[in-house]
Amino acid sequence: MAEATAPKPSSSVKLVLLGEAAVGKSSLVLRFVNNDFQENKEPTIGAAFLTQKCNLPTRTIKFEIWDTAGQERFASLAPMYYRNAQSALVVYDLTKPTSLIKAKHWVAELQRQASPGIVIALVGNKLDLTNESSGSGNALGEDSETDAAEGENDDGDARKVSTAEAKTYAEEEGLLFFETSAKNGTNVTEVFTAIANAIPETSLKGARGPGATQSSANRTEDQSRVNLTGPRDSASKEGCAC
Amino acid sequence: MFNFSSLVQKAQSFIDPTQALNISPSDRNPAKSTLFRHQFRLPDSQTPLQEITAEITISPPVAYSPNATQGEKDKDRDRGYHYEGKLHLSEAYLCFSTQPTSFLQSASTSTSSGFTGQTHGGGPGGNGFTLPLCAIRRVERLHSQQYQFALAITTWNGLTNSPTNDAAKTPAPQQKITIQLAGTRQACERFCDGLKKGLKGGVGDVGKLKKVVAECYSEYLLQPGETKKDGKKDSVPPDAGLGMIFRYPGDHKKLRDRSKMRLWGEYLRDYGRNVTLIRQPTFHKLIRVGLPNRLRGEIWEQTSGSLFLRLENPMLFADTLAKYEGRDSLAIDEIEKDLNRSLPEYPGFQSEEGIGRLRRVLTAYSWTNEEVGYCQAMNIVVAALLIYMSESQAFFLLSTLCDRLLPGYYSTTMYGTLLDQKVFESLVEKTMPILWDHLVKSDVQLSVVSLPWFLSLYINSMPLVFAFRVLDVFFLEGPKVLFQVGLAILRINGEELLDAADDGAFISVLKSYFSKLDESAHPKSENAKLRAVTRFQELMVVAFKEFSGITQNSITEQRMKHKNSVLNGIESFAKRTSIRNLGPDSKRLSVDDLGSLYDRFYGVLYERQQRSQIIMEETERRDRARRAKAAEVVTGLSENQVVEKGRVGLGPSPTLMDYDGFREFLAGMARWAITDSPSPPGKDNTSESEKHSYFGNSVRRREVSLSPWGPGNPEPADHEFMQRLFRRWDVDMNSALTLQNVVTGLAHIKGKGDIMGSITYFFELYDDDGDGKVDREGILRISEALLFLSRRGLEGSLTPSSSMTGLSEYEADNPNPYQPEGMQGNTNERFLSSVSAFIRRCFEYADPDHPQNKVTEVEESASDGLADPDSFGIGDDSDEEEDLLDLGDSAPVRGKKPTGIPSIPAASDKSDIRNRSVSKAHAEAANAALDPSKPLHITLPTFRMVVLADELLEQFFESSFPASFRISDKMVAAASSSASSLTTFSNIGFGRSTPQPSVGGTSSAGLVPPGKGLRGVLDNIVTDGMRVAAEVRRRMDEAQKELEQNAVHRPDDDEDDEEGYDEPRTPGGNAGRTVRSEDRDLLEGADAEAMSLRGQDGVSEVKQQDSLTPTAGRSRSASVVSSKVIEFER
Repeated sequence: MAEATAPKPSSSVKLVLLGEAAVGKSSLVLRFVNNDFQENKEPTIGAAFLTQKCNLPTRTIKFEIWDTAGQERFASLAPMYYRNAQSALVVYDLTKPTSLIKAKHWVAELQRQASPGIVIALVGNKLDLTNESSGSGNALGEDSETDAAEGENDDGDARKVSTAEAKTYAEEEGLLFFETSAKNGTNVTEVFTAIANAIPETSLKGARGPGATQSSANRTEDQSRVNLTGPRDSASKEGCAC
Repeated sequence: MFNFSSLVQKAQSFIDPTQALNISPSDRNPAKSTLFRHQFRLPDSQTPLQEITAEITISPPVAYSPNATQGEKDKDRDRGYHYEGKLHLSEAYLCFSTQPTSFLQSASTSTSSGFTGQTHGGGPGGNGFTLPLCAIRRVERLHSQQYQFALAITTWNGLTNSPTNDAAKTPAPQQKITIQLAGTRQACERFCDGLKKGLKGGVGDVGKLKKVVAECYSEYLLQPGETKKDGKKDSVPPDAGLGMIFRYPGDHKKLRDRSKMRLWGEYLRDYGRNVTLIRQPTFHKLIRVGLPNRLRGEIWEQTSGSLFLRLENPMLFADTLAKYEGRDSLAIDEIEKDLNRSLPEYPGFQSEEGIGRLRRVLTAYSWTNEEVGYCQAMNIVVAALLIYMSESQAFFLLSTLCDRLLPGYYSTTMYGTLLDQKVFESLVEKTMPILWDHLVKSDVQLSVVSLPWFLSLYINSMPLVFAFRVLDVFFLEGPKVLFQVGLAILRINGEELLDAADDGAFISVLKSYFSKLDESAHPKSENAKLRAVTRFQELMVVAFKEFSGITQNSITEQRMKHKNSVLNGIESFAKRTSIRNLGPDSKRLSVDDLGSLYDRFYGVLYERQQRSQIIMEETERRDRARRAKAAEVVTGLSENQVVEKGRVGLGPSPTLMDYDGFREFLAGMARWAITDSPSPPGKDNTSESEKHSYFGNSVRRREVSLSPWGPGNPEPADHEFMQRLFRRWDVDMNSALTLQNVVTGLAHIKGKGDIMGSITYFFELYDDDGDGKVDREGILRISEALLFLSRRGLEGSLTPSSSMTGLSEYEADNPNPYQPEGMQGNTNERFLSSVSAFIRRCFEYADPDHPQNKVTEVEESASDGLADPDSFGIGDDSDEEEDLLDLGDSAPVRGKKPTGIPSIPAASDKSDIRNRSVSKAHAEAANAALDPSKPLHITLPTFRMVVLADELLEQFFESSFPASFRISDKMVAAASSSASSLTTFSNIGFGRSTPQPSVGGTSSAGLVPPGKGLRGVLDNIVTDGMRVAAEVRRRMDEAQKELEQNAVHRPDDDEDDEEGYDEPRTPGGNAGRTVRSEDRDLLEGADAEAMSLRGQDGVSEVKQQDSLTPTAGRSRSASVVSSKVIEFER
């Protein structure tokens, strides 16, 4: 598993995904790791573990991703998973306002309990269910599935959480912020790249990358393609931890 | 694996295996019957009634002739299988096991290991049977010359469902069991009597039995007229799961399903099927090699005991679905989210049929156990079950899983899961220390890997075929199997795992192992036989051979060991989360305060539940003891059973606080909320006060131990003000408060320390209809409340030692020269006068123009010309408003009131009423404003003005009222010079952490007999509050006169008092001196009297009082407190 063959300095970064049940945490990871999407993803029991590398211009970041179960009662297991995490992806479903509330709780929990300096990204998933999905993704990863976004029916906008609302909150709390679609891949790699960039070079500790907002993430994105080297199949395909 | 098993055995001899076998909070049964039920997998309704040593003979399957002679019978006996063991009788079951009896009260722990310990593959029931009495067709008593008793039991085996027409053709061989009872004649007779009674009761259940049995595939399999080819049977086979429609997972040929089926067919034919099955060694072996698809569900049901649950209430599943049809719940929402994603790789769960079944089972279960509801992973487990069994079977098996096999796994806090992870980790540490060290060094957290194994019973970790093999054994042998398999997995992969340096590598080793379970374990071996051994077989061997030392006992022991730390972890997480989610109002309080509030809130709920539980148990125990005598029930109630219900970490705990809980909650926080009359009525006052003056709290605590408030807790008061507060906080109007309500409520009071805010708040409390007006009654109640709140002194900055209010006689005898006497006494006197001034002013400025009272106004002016509020106010205006500090002459009179307060139980109805009538008379005579026929009201601005007009009231609202809710004990700690000793104390959190001194201070205060003499009247006035406002007023008007009367009046009364209880308290010459000094004091006048009265409480009292007012007199009181605390902690 340890394929530390990159010439560039490589470091592992522990990333934990948190958020309400069925907001698409596992799907985001699946998209990021395998560039795949499953309509009926088995619920995560406890947590799933996957890894994926992310090549930055100056270094390679190997994400060790802990994808946690979303059901409320699993929350008490969470500390087990976010222990020592250097970054976190807090996901909500932008068609479901309650999931943002839950996300805020997670952010607060992380800020208080997780390792200091943890990089947190707030992610509104299921952008494909909204009307503007085609507009917001600048689709630069290898997964340029703009066609999928294009074909979105515009009969109903299922969005219930406005971008502004979530973004304001994210800025207040100093979080990275993205709206994504795991289904069609919009912004997924961008999230991880931005996190990779925001992880401080030194010992991966210290202050949260302040300038790493969406815009800055997009700016650096050209050079920092995420290495989606094929499916690391058997090891990462199944959503369960073992 | 070194000496692990011996270690375990040693541990077993220390730990009572009966404890915490099932740590589920609902399982509060006496240990013996719990064990009994677990051993035979019986429903909770069963208790062991009789037991006797016996030998059973199972007649060989070949023809049995009912007319055989004794000799033939003996021959039969020789030919059949014999087992020696214990025969047990419960209400509805006859059970036999060869396993040593585990639950005799006299049995030592080592003998009980048969059940809780190693089962040698036999399962807890061992060889034997669990026979529902309704499945017994006939019991004959055989006359055996040799020795005692022999019974021949004929069962309904195979007869319940045989089609009537076929019956004649090939009568199913009757199943007969011969039982030789070994014991005294008497014991045997007794057993038989019990059996007879049970059989009678069982007759009614034959109908149920038929229904239940009809769903068992074995009935169909063994149906007479069966053709081996499985081809044409006239009846439809019962539902043996989705597999019948969508195929069973795995390759039939490879699994050798057909030969397994044949073996089972034979076994079931010979030794009984479903409910009448007799467990013999072959049975266990057959299970170990894997169950055949179509029988799998039924055998699961049989070995886990869910079959008996189903027998108990066959229609429960259908009825539950029908009952709750169309209703919605959170659990249902959650279930719906997961239906499409449960074992999606199995074709049955991509169909409406499969999904429908899954939905129905999960939904029905969520209704029958709303505490658990639905937990992710249940969907996977149930989906797996549904491949092999019908919906109803899966429903009952799920119940058994949640309630018995996996206690707490799926609860809302999942404490069972977390606990078993800890247990698993500790087992790894013990059995594989090198691997464990490696894990620790590389910072790999084992539980993140193993948690899904346990939670979903390996179903989504291993390929399905193998997971089902694990389940086969799991249902037979119990939860330990999960641990054994888990340990074996790590053991087998040990080498590779030692090379894995991080979580990722660790996980991938295991993942690839799971994917290769079907491969040969020794692919390179020369030996063909060895080559044929698959990795899965190897796993099973390692699990059950190498880890045979892992027993239910060792697991129980470990569970006990880790339980508290796991629960604490969950609880602190829950606390954090819950505090964070309290919403914007909570921001007005500090984080520490919120934490303490949380602790107090749940502490009170928890304690209350504990207490009611204990009381309930006590009655139950008594009931049972009574019954036990009559019916000779052999129940052993474990004395030290841990009462756990209501603990947050265990899952759903109460979240609502009723009014009584609220009183207790307040009493833990605010001094004024502790009652003045804590002692049970009818107690001898003399002896009580005697104890009190000397032993203070410790004695008191013991006395209260029977009270509903729990030992050591102060009894809360019950004042109208508290009721109002409760109603005010109860914004949801459900007569109960949530933590949110409490926090919001307190946030408004303590929030900003804004005086206008708290004045408004107070006013609104009394503005019942919300029209911005408080009427006469309201004004009086407000003043009552003010006095109620201040009767133990005021918090905050009023004076440095405002604590000295609750004084009692004692101090009078021993005036403490070191006690600074002036200030604080005056404050309370002053506050009293402030309150009375408040009333006066309220009436003065009240607005008589109450629109709805126009009519009465006319009447009243007719009836009483003096009714004009203005006119009554004038009288003492001059006296009062000149200078508040210059109350020299009137103050003493009033000053006696606070000092006397304690003597009157606030809640004492009698004295209330008595004084009310007295005061009413006074009031009406003196003050027309109190004339009930004259309406008046004040508005908020008026109220505000009146409050602000008085310095003390202003201070009260500004600081002391908010400060009287002392949320965290930290305040004390902060002021303490030895704060370190207090840290634990302030963290205790539960109600019992209430500083004991408060009890002493208040309770002793409550001991003064009410209503004696003039002082009694004054006391009552205070307690009665402003019902007697006019009395107070009149007093102020006539201060001088009163004083004279006083001086004349008091001595006699007081002498009575002192004789009552001072003498015993102060032995020796003190008494005489006391009286004299008291006399002298009284003669010296009111001023002196006030002083001495204040002094009466004694040094000890003062200290205790001080400890309650941390803000006042910081340094001094703090040190006192800390010393107290140390004592308390000791």
